[in-house]
Amino acid sequence: MEKPLELSRYCVPFTPFKKRLEDALVCLVSTAGVRKKDDRPFVLEGDTSFRTIGGEAVAADLAVDDTHYDHACIDKDVNCVFPIDRLRSLAREQRIAGLTEQHFAMGFSQNLKEVRDTTVPQIARAVAGTRPDAVLLTGG
Amino acid sequence: MVTVQRAIEMQGIPTVLITVEPEESAQARPPRALYPKGFIAGHSLGRPGDEALQKWIILDALGLLAADPRPGEVIARDYT
Repeated sequence: MEKPLELSRYCVPFTPFKKRLEDALVCLVSTAGVRKKDDRPFVLEGDTSFRTIGGEAVAADLAVDDTHYDHACIDKDVNCVFPIDRLRSLAREQRIAGLTEQHFAMGFSQNLKEVRDTTVPQIARAVAGTRPDAVLLTGG
Repeated sequence: MVTVQRAIEMQGIPTVLITVEPEESAQARPPRALYPKGFIAGHSLGRPGDEALQKWIILDALGLLAADPRPGEVIARDYT
């Protein structure tokens, strides 16, 4: 049995966006180590797990576990890396239809194999389960 | 980050990335990506509490969803 083909890194997956932005439900996904304050912290030295953030969350409900980027912005406003309040504001202004019921964040890890083989597929499936029309991703 | 983005796009969901590491992101070939020029890690959306700037950047990023496709490229824009 031959191995199934894998997507070459030179090939770019592309799904056309067919809706109007005003009709689109948006999901937020980040690698900035964001979580609900009452959720389990990320391990700073390396963590391949991810956290789910309920769609009702506001930035003030969120904490960030990270030692790899400058915190001057997020110490005052988590929207600097995870703009959940701003997306909700755009929904109120009817620029987007709304936010999905769940958003997702992962933390720092150098275990790239486990991230690629386990964490990333889990997040992609979890994102698909929220049935977004578009996904906005942010790093740190 | 682009690895996650590509995996989500492969599920049939359009994605757009806001990146502050444009060279690293471009090497990983994102479906759509915006680089706010000069912004650094921890400041992806600009300045704390600057709602107007943060929303401008989000709308620009989401605007790439319906723009002419430039798969694999990182689009740099100035917000200063």
